[in-house]
Amino acid sequence: MNRWRRSVGEIQARRRPLLECQRAQAAFVKGTACLQLQAACLGSNSDCSRLREELDETRALAHSLSTGLQKRLTTMLTQGELLQEERAEAERLWVLFLSGLEIFQQDLQKVILLQELFPLKQPRDRRSLVNTGGSGDGTGVTGRVTMSQMPWPKTQDQGGPCPDLSTQISQLESMAQEMLRKVNVPFWSVEATQEAWADSVDTEQDDDEPVEEMSVENVAAGPQRLSGCCHYPGCRVLCLLN
Amino acid sequence: MTIRNVRDHGQRYRPRMACLKKVEALVLEMQDPKSGVKSQTQRLVITTIPHAITGEDIVAWVANRFNIDAREAQSIATLMVAFGYIYPLQDHKRLIIKADTSLYRFQTPYFWPAQQWPAEDTDYAIYLAKRNIRKKGVLELYEQEHYNNLHKWMNHKWDFIVMQAKEQYRAGKERKKPDRVVFDCQERAYWVVHRPPPGTISAMDYGLERLTDPNADEVKKKKTMDYYRRIVIFTQQCIMRSRVKSSVSLGAIVKYITTCKNHDPFLAMCLPSNPWLTDDTTYWELNMPNVEIPTKMRVERWTFGFRELLSDPRGRADFRLFLKKEFSGENLAFWETCEDLKWGAAATMKDKAQQIYKTFLAPGAPRWINIDGKTMDITVKGLVHPHRYVLDAAQTHIYMLMKKDSFGRYMKSTVFKETQKKAISPEEHKFSDAQLEQNAKKRKPNLSPIVLRQREEEEKARLAASGPMDITQLCKFTAPVPHLAVYTGICEAQLSHGRERQPPSPGFPTLPNSAACPSPISVAIDSTPASERKFEGQGGSAAAQFPSIAEVPLETRVSASARGPDESQLASQKSRVALSLSRFLRRGCGNASVLASLSPKCHSAMGGRVQPLSREPLSQPQPKRIANFFQIKVDIPPECRIYPIDSEDEENECTSRVRGTVKEIICPWESITKQDQAG
Repeated sequence: MNRWRRSVGEIQARRRPLLECQRAQAAFVKGTACLQLQAACLGSNSDCSRLREELDETRALAHSLSTGLQKRLTTMLTQGELLQEERAEAERLWVLFLSGLEIFQQDLQKVILLQELFPLKQPRDRRSLVNTGGSGDGTGVTGRVTMSQMPWPKTQDQGGPCPDLSTQISQLESMAQEMLRKVNVPFWSVEATQEAWADSVDTEQDDDEPVEEMSVENVAAGPQRLSGCCHYPGCRVLCLLN
Repeated sequence: MTIRNVRDHGQRYRPRMACLKKVEALVLEMQDPKSGVKSQTQRLVITTIPHAITGEDIVAWVANRFNIDAREAQSIATLMVAFGYIYPLQDHKRLIIKADTSLYRFQTPYFWPAQQWPAEDTDYAIYLAKRNIRKKGVLELYEQEHYNNLHKWMNHKWDFIVMQAKEQYRAGKERKKPDRVVFDCQERAYWVVHRPPPGTISAMDYGLERLTDPNADEVKKKKTMDYYRRIVIFTQQCIMRSRVKSSVSLGAIVKYITTCKNHDPFLAMCLPSNPWLTDDTTYWELNMPNVEIPTKMRVERWTFGFRELLSDPRGRADFRLFLKKEFSGENLAFWETCEDLKWGAAATMKDKAQQIYKTFLAPGAPRWINIDGKTMDITVKGLVHPHRYVLDAAQTHIYMLMKKDSFGRYMKSTVFKETQKKAISPEEHKFSDAQLEQNAKKRKPNLSPIVLRQREEEEKARLAASGPMDITQLCKFTAPVPHLAVYTGICEAQLSHGRERQPPSPGFPTLPNSAACPSPISVAIDSTPASERKFEGQGGSAAAQFPSIAEVPLETRVSASARGPDESQLASQKSRVALSLSRFLRRGCGNASVLASLSPKCHSAMGGRVQPLSREPLSQPQPKRIANFFQIKVDIPPECRIYPIDSEDEENECTSRVRGTVKEIICPWESITKQDQAG
C-alpha cells in the first residue's frame, strides 16, 4: 500500500513540472492577448499614462512567465527523463511557447515605436493623438491578466525585476536563440490537436452582433453634432465640434 | 516558431517606403482640434461612436491644406485610405474615398503600416480563427482558402493560434461595447489592407524584397582603412566622370519633356483609353509590334529621333522598306546582325561573327557596308578573336551613317508620308460606370506566349521570304545560317555548278561572292594575312576552309552587269570550280558541322550527315537559271525552299526538282525576335 501511494506520489511529482508549464503557457497567452489590446490603444485618443502603466504591468507579468517557462522547459527537455508522451507534450509546449515569444516580441517592438512616436509628457502632445473613436480610457483589460495566478510559487521566480522595453526586446531575442540552440526540437513534428475549424468558445452569444452587421448601419441624420459627442466624459476634450 | 525560408538569397528586407512617413505626418495634422478635420458621431443600433469623418470633409481639408483642386485631393485621400490610415465605415472592402457623406475613421497607430514589419501570417491566422470562433460561417471564400492554407502551413503552431485567438476574444469581451466595436472595425480594416481580397489592387505592393536592410545603420560601421580607401576610390571616380553644365542638361530635359509629354500615358490621355483604367484592350491591339496600320501617335514618335524609329518594330519595318527602295538595306541589315551578335547565345558567337564578316565586311562581300578604313581594320583584327562587342565600332559607324543620312531622307520620303497619311487616330472611349464594370468582368487573359511566338515566327518567315533588299544576285538561303538568312546573299551560281541543288555545305554559299578572302578565323589558323590569299592557288596542304574561294577570281563578283559575259565566265570556270569543289568537299564536312551549329533548330549531329556532294557536271537547266540570277530586282519568289542539311531525302528530291525553278523558303529561324528586342 505504501509503495503504491509512493508511486502515485512519484507520478504526480513527475507530472508537476509539465502541468506547471501548461498553465504557464496558458497564462502567457493570456498576457500577450491583453498586451495586444492595450497596445492597440497607444497613440489613439484613449491613450493615457494610466494605460501605459497597465501596459508595463502586463509586460512584467509576461516577462516573469516567459523567463520561468523558458527555464523549466529547457531543463525538462535537456535533462529530465521523460516518457514518450511526456516528451511529445513537452515538445509541443516548446513550439507553442516559441511562437508566443515571437508574437510577444513583435508587439513589444510596436509598443516601443508607438511610445516614441506619441510621447505623453506634455499636455499639448495629446493634440496629436489620433482620434480613433475609442472611449476615454483603454484600461480594464489588465484586470483579466492579473486575475490569473502564477503557476509556480513566488519564491522560485528568479527572473528579476522587469527590464525596460528595449532591454526586454533584446532579451527575448537572445532567449529565443538560446532555446533554439540548446534543444533540438523539429517543430514540424508537432501536430495540432485542434481541428481546423474550431468550435465557438462559448455558446453565450449575448448581444454580440458581428461587426459586419454594424458596418451596414447608416448614420442617422448625419451632421448632428452633439455638444458631447459621446457619453464618456473623457472624450469631450478631443471631440471636434461643429 | 515560424519556419523561415532561407533560400531567398538574403533578399528579405522590405524596401524603403518613404511615403508612409509622409502620410503619417499628414494624418497627425488632421487630428488638430482647431485646424484638423471635423468629426461627428456614428450612430449604431446599440451605441454611438465618436470621431467619424465624412469623405467630403476629408477631401476638402486636403484640398485646402495643399492648395490643390478637388480631384487631386481625392486621389491623395484615396491613397491614405489605400494605405490603411483611414478606413471606411460603410462598404469596408473598397478602399477609396467617396467625396460625399460616407463615413470614415482614423486607424489606430498600432495598425498603421510599417516598413520594418510586414503583416505576419501568424497574426492573420489568429485573426481568422478569432472571427470563426465568434461566429461560424462568417469568413468569405478567399478567407476560407487562406485559413485552410495557413492551417496546413502552420500546423505545428495551430494550437497556439487557436489558444491565442480564444484569449484575444475573451479579453476583448471585457471591454466596453463601443470600444469593442471600434477595435473590431480597426482590425478588420487592417486586414483588408494587408490581405486584400483577390482581384483588388493593393497599395502595399512593393515588388521584390531587397538585399540590404534600409533601416540598418551605416554610420556605426567601423572606420577601417578599407572603408576609407573605398571612399577615396569612389570620390576619385566621381571626379573622373564627364560633366555637363547644368543649363545644358536641364535644357535637354526640357526639350525631351516638351516633345514627349503628349505621349506619356500619365500626363496625357491615352487614345482610345488606358487599358489599365478601363479594362479595354483596344489600345494594346492597335499598338501591336507588327500591326499593319500604326496609330498617329506612334508615327509621330518616330520623328523624335532615329533611336525611336529603330526601337519600334513597325517603324523599323517601315524604314527597312524605305531602304529597300533605295538599295541601301545592307546598313540596317548589318546593324541588326550586330545586335543579334551582342545579345545572342555565346555558343554561336564565333560562327555568327564569321558569317557577318563574309557577308558584310569582306571586300567583295555580297552586302558590303561602307565603313572607313580604320574601323574596318580594327574590326577585322578583332574578328580574329571574336566576342560580343567586337563589331561595336563598325556598328556605331553604320548607326551614325544611317542616322545622319538615311534617316533624314526617310523623313522626307514617300514611304513615310504614305504611312503618315494612313495612320489612324482612334476616338476616345467614354465609358460610363456601368460599362466599366462590364469591362472589368470581361477581362480575359492574354494570348498564350506559345501562340504569340508562332505568330512571330510566321511573320519572320514571311519577311525572310520576301528577300533581302539590296542583294544584287539571286540568293538561296541555307538553314544553318538561320538568323542571317534575311541578309545573307548566297549565290546560287556556285551551287549550280557542282551538283543539283542539294543542301550545300554551308561553306558554299558565299563562295564566288565573298571573294577570295577566307574568313579571319581561318586566317588566324593559317597565320597568313587575309589580303594575300586573294588569288592564291590552292595549295592542297593549306588548311584553308574555303579553298574554292580562292579559286574563283574576283571577276565573278556580281554586279548589275550583263548576263552574257558572266555566263560564259562561269561556264569556263566550271572545270576549275569543279576541281576545287572536290578539294573543298574533303574539308567540307568539318565546316558544315561548324556552321550548321548556327541553326538552333538544326540537329546538332551535323557532321556525319553531310553527304558528299555528287559531282555531276552542270546540268542543262543551269544556264537558264543563271540567266535569272543577275537581276537587280531581287524579290525572290516566295516559294523558295530551304533544305535543311540533314535531310537526305530532300537532297534526292532536289535532283528531281532541278527542272522546276520554283523554290520555297521555309525559314525556321528566330532572328527577328532578338533584333526586335535588342533594338
